[in-house]
Amino acid sequence: MATNDTQVEEAEVEDNDAESELKGKKVAKHDAGAADLEKVTDYEEEKEIASQDIQDAMRVVSDRQNKEAKAKHEKEKELSKVKINKDDVDYIVQEMEISRTRAEHVLREYKGNVVEALVFLTN
Amino acid sequence: MPSKNPLPPKENAFFKRILKCYEQKHYKSGLKFAKQILSNPKYAEHGETMAMKGLTLNCLGRKEEAYDFVRRGLRNDLTSHVCWHVYGLLQRSDRKYDEAIKCYRNALKWDKDNLQILRDLSLLQIQMRDLEGYRETRYQLLALRPGQRASWIGYAMAYHLLKDYDMCLKILEEFRKTQTPKPVYDYEHSELLLYQNMVMQEAGMNIEAMEHLNTFDKQIVDRLYVQETMAQLYNQLNQSDKAAKIFRDLINRNPENWAYYRGYERALHLEESPEERMQMYKSIMEEFPHSTMPKRLPLDFTTDDVFRELIDEYLKKSLRKGVPPSFVSIKSVYKDLWKVKTIEDLVLSYVENLKQTGKFDSKGDVEPATALLWAYYFLAQHYDYLNNMEKAFEYIDLGIEHTPLLIELYVLKAKIYKHAGDMDEAVRLMDEAQSLDTADRYINCKCAKYMLRANLIQEAADMCSKFTREGISAVENLNEMQCMWFQTECAFAYKRLGKWGDALKKCHEIDRHFTEIIEDQFDFHTYCMRKMTLRSYVGLLRLEDSLRGHPFYSRIAHLAIEIYLHLHDHPLTDTDHENDVNSENLSPSELKKLKRKQRKAQKKAEIEREKLKAEQEKRDQNKNKAADGELDGPKEEELIPDKLARADDPLEHAIHFLKPLQMLIPQCIETHVKAYKIYSRKGKLLLMLQSIKRGVLANRSDPRFHICLIHFLQYVKDQGELSEPAKTVINLEMKNIYQEKTALQLNEEFLASNSDSLEHRAAGARMMYKLDKSRQEEAMSLATSLDSNLKGVTIKNCIEVLEALCRGDLGKCEQEALEYQTRCHKIFPHATAFIIPAQASTNCSGTDSPTEQILVNGSALKNES
Repeated sequence: MATNDTQVEEAEVEDNDAESELKGKKVAKHDAGAADLEKVTDYEEEKEIASQDIQDAMRVVSDRQNKEAKAKHEKEKELSKVKINKDDVDYIVQEMEISRTRAEHVLREYKGNVVEALVFLTN
Repeated sequence: MPSKNPLPPKENAFFKRILKCYEQKHYKSGLKFAKQILSNPKYAEHGETMAMKGLTLNCLGRKEEAYDFVRRGLRNDLTSHVCWHVYGLLQRSDRKYDEAIKCYRNALKWDKDNLQILRDLSLLQIQMRDLEGYRETRYQLLALRPGQRASWIGYAMAYHLLKDYDMCLKILEEFRKTQTPKPVYDYEHSELLLYQNMVMQEAGMNIEAMEHLNTFDKQIVDRLYVQETMAQLYNQLNQSDKAAKIFRDLINRNPENWAYYRGYERALHLEESPEERMQMYKSIMEEFPHSTMPKRLPLDFTTDDVFRELIDEYLKKSLRKGVPPSFVSIKSVYKDLWKVKTIEDLVLSYVENLKQTGKFDSKGDVEPATALLWAYYFLAQHYDYLNNMEKAFEYIDLGIEHTPLLIELYVLKAKIYKHAGDMDEAVRLMDEAQSLDTADRYINCKCAKYMLRANLIQEAADMCSKFTREGISAVENLNEMQCMWFQTECAFAYKRLGKWGDALKKCHEIDRHFTEIIEDQFDFHTYCMRKMTLRSYVGLLRLEDSLRGHPFYSRIAHLAIEIYLHLHDHPLTDTDHENDVNSENLSPSELKKLKRKQRKAQKKAEIEREKLKAEQEKRDQNKNKAADGELDGPKEEELIPDKLARADDPLEHAIHFLKPLQMLIPQCIETHVKAYKIYSRKGKLLLMLQSIKRGVLANRSDPRFHICLIHFLQYVKDQGELSEPAKTVINLEMKNIYQEKTALQLNEEFLASNSDSLEHRAAGARMMYKLDKSRQEEAMSLATSLDSNLKGVTIKNCIEVLEALCRGDLGKCEQEALEYQTRCHKIFPHATAFIIPAQASTNCSGTDSPTEQILVNGSALKNES
C-alpha cells in the first residue's frame, strides 16, 4: 500500500511540474526534491560486515595509522624547536596580509630566515 | 554521560524526550518538555536542558534566544559533551564551520568515542577540506565501527584525496574482500569496483587497472564506461589491436561521438598518413551514410582537391536541408586561409547557379527554393566572421528579401549589427525577431541580453518577465533562479551607466550564488557515501574546489574589482547622487524641485523595500513552518546599492573578489594585473612584488601587465632607501625580473618586439609619454596608428585607445582625439562609439566638453563581448 501511495504522489508531483512550468509555481517541485532527499538521508546504514573478515583488514590499517601519527608528531616537534623572531612574524603578517599561524609556519619551515620566507611567499 | 549535574530519573526521562522531539522535528513539544525540567527550581539552570532548549529555538527561527540559551547552558556545564555538541550544531547552522569544528573537538574531549559527534566532525572537515583532520576522524570512526561500509569507504577516500593512492587502494582492496556481491545487478558493488579502478588510473597504474577491469568484468554494470576505459587503457599500453577493436565497436554504438574517432585513429596509427585516415572515414561513411561525424572530421585534415570535394558535398547537403548551424559547425576550418577562399568561391558559385538554373552546379537535380536562402544566410555569416560588414549586410538583406519572416535571419542581422558596433539597431532587430515568436524562450533571452548590452535594463527585465514567475518581479525571480547570465549583463550595463552601487549589487548576488553552490554540497557528503556513487562524489568535490574558476565568477569578479578601484580613486561624496541627471544646467528652483522629487522617490523606494522585506519575512516564516525549521543557513545581509557604492574599504572588498582568482586562475594575466592595481593602491610593496612575479610567469608580454611592470620599477625607485628585510628581498627579485634594465630600455624593447599589435603599441606609447613628456608626439602617432597591417584593430581596442586619449594618458590632445575618432569612424562606419555628435564641433572651442562627449559616447556603447 505504502509504495502505491508514494507512486500516486509522485505522479501528482510530476503533473504539478508541468503546470508549474507554465504558471511558474516552482515551489511544489522544490519541496518534493527536498522531501526525497530527506528520506534518503534519514535512512540508516545497518548492513554489517562479518567480524572475522574485518580483523585482517583492520591490522593493515592500524599499523599505518600509528606510523603516520608518529611522523606527524615528530615533524611538528621539529618545527616547534625552530626559534623565530616575533618582529619577523609581525612584519610578514602586516606586509603579506596572511594569518599569524601561516606566517609562523612558513617562517619555521625556512628556519626563521625572513628573507627566504618572503621570497617563498611572493611566489 | 559525564555531566556534573545529573538529572533524577523523572527529569531524565523528559530530557530524553526533548532529544527525541528534536530528532523528529517536533520542536513545540520539545520546548514543553524543556519547560517541565526548567520550571523545577532545582534544575532551573540545568546546562544540557538549556542548551537543548536553545537548539530547538534555533530550529524555530528564534536565533537570538537560541544563542542566549545555548551559551548559558554551556556556561553552566562546561564539561558536558552535549552542551559543546549543541553549541557546535548551532554554529554549523550559521555556517561558522571553523567555530563548529572547535566545539566538536571540545565535545570529544569529554566523550571521545561519541559516534554522532565524530560523524558530524568528519562532515565539517571534508566540507572545509581539512583532509588531514578528516583522515584522522575517519580512522576513529573505522576503529569504532569497523562493521560499517561507510567507515571503510570514508577512510579510503581520505587517502585518495590526500593523493596517497597506495594506501587508498590497500584499504579498498581489504574492504572489497569482505564483500560478496549480489548475484544479479548489484549496482553499488559495481560502483565500488569502478571507484577502485578510477583510483588505479589516477595513480598511473594502467596495467593493474586493465587487469582489474578484466577480472571483475562480470560484476560491473556500467558497460559503456568499461568499454571506453578499456579502449583508452589499451591505447595507453600500446596494445593497439585490442584498442582499435573496441573503438570500432564504440563507433558502431554511437557514430556521432568524435572522441571515439580520435581514439580509433590513434589505435590505427593514422595521424601521419592522411590518405589512410581518409580511407578509414570513407568506410565508416559507407556504413553509416546518415551520420555527420565521418563527413565533418576529415575537413580538418584534408587539403586541396580532396578537401574541395568533401566540403562541396558537405555544404550542398546542409544548404539543401537548411541546417542553420552549418556555418558554426565548420568555423574551426577557418584557420586555414586557403580553405576559407575555397568555401567562399564554392558558395558564391552556388548562389549564381541557383539564381539561374535552380541547381548548385551544372550537374545534379533542381534544388528546393530554400537552398538559395540558406546560401545567403551562410554567406552573411561567412563575411561577418571575416569582418567584411558591407558584404555581410548585403547577403543578409538578400536573404530577408527572399523570405521576409524567417526568425533566424533577423537574429543574424542583429548579430552583425552588434559586431559592427551599433547596439541600438541590433536591439531593434532582435526585438523584431522576438516578436515573430513570443513563445520561444531562446529568442526571448537573446533579446533581453541584447537589450542589456544597450543598457536597456528595465526593458530587458520586462522582456524576461514573459517567462518568469507571476507575482514577483522578474529581476528578483531571476536572482532566486541563479540566472547568472542575466545578472552578469545587468552588472555590466549598470557599470556603463555609472551606477556603481547597482552594478556591485549584481556582482555580490552572483558571488552569493557561488557560495550557495558550495554550501549545497554538504548534503552530498553523507548521501554519496551511502549510495556508493563514489566516482561522482569525487568529481563533485573537485568541481567545488575549483568552482570560482568558472567564467561566470571571474567576469564579475574583475568587474567588481574595477568598480571598487574606481570608487577608491573617486569616492562618492555625500551630495553625489549616482543616478543624478546632469544637474549643472538646472536653475536653482529646478534643482530644488528635482531634489524634492528625488527625496520623494527615495522615500517611496524605501517604503517599497520595507513592504517587500515584510512580505519576504512572512514567506520565510511560512517556509519555516512548512519545513519545520530546516537548517537553512544564516540570513544574508540585504544588499543596498547605495551602501555598496559607499563602502568604507573598497580595496578590502576588491581583495575579497580577487582571492579566488589568485587561487584558481593564476595562469590568467588579468588576475595579476588586478592584484597589482589593488596592492599598489594599498602601498604594499611585497604584495606588489608578488603580483609582478606571478604575472611574469603567466604572460610577461601582455600589454596591460607591461604597464604594471614599468610602474613597479618606477615605484621602487621612488621609494628611495628601503628598510630590511624588504630591501634584500626586493633587490634580489628585481635583478631576476628586470636584469638591471631601466624603464626606458624595457619600454623600447617591448615596443620593438610587438610593433605590429595595436594593444601593445598603445600600452607602450602610454609608458613612453609617462617616462618622457617631451615625446608626446611620437607616442601619439604610435598609439593612434590604424594601419591595415596592424593586429588587433577592433572596435573594442580602438575604444580603449580613444578613452585613454580622453583621460589624458597621452597628455592634452582634444584635437587628436577628435581626429582619431573620425578615422575610426571611417573604418567602423556603423559603430556608434565613433560617431561624433553634431554639436561636438561647436563645443570644440569650449574647455573639455568634447572629450566628455566622447567618453560618454564611448563607454556607453562599449562592446563587452
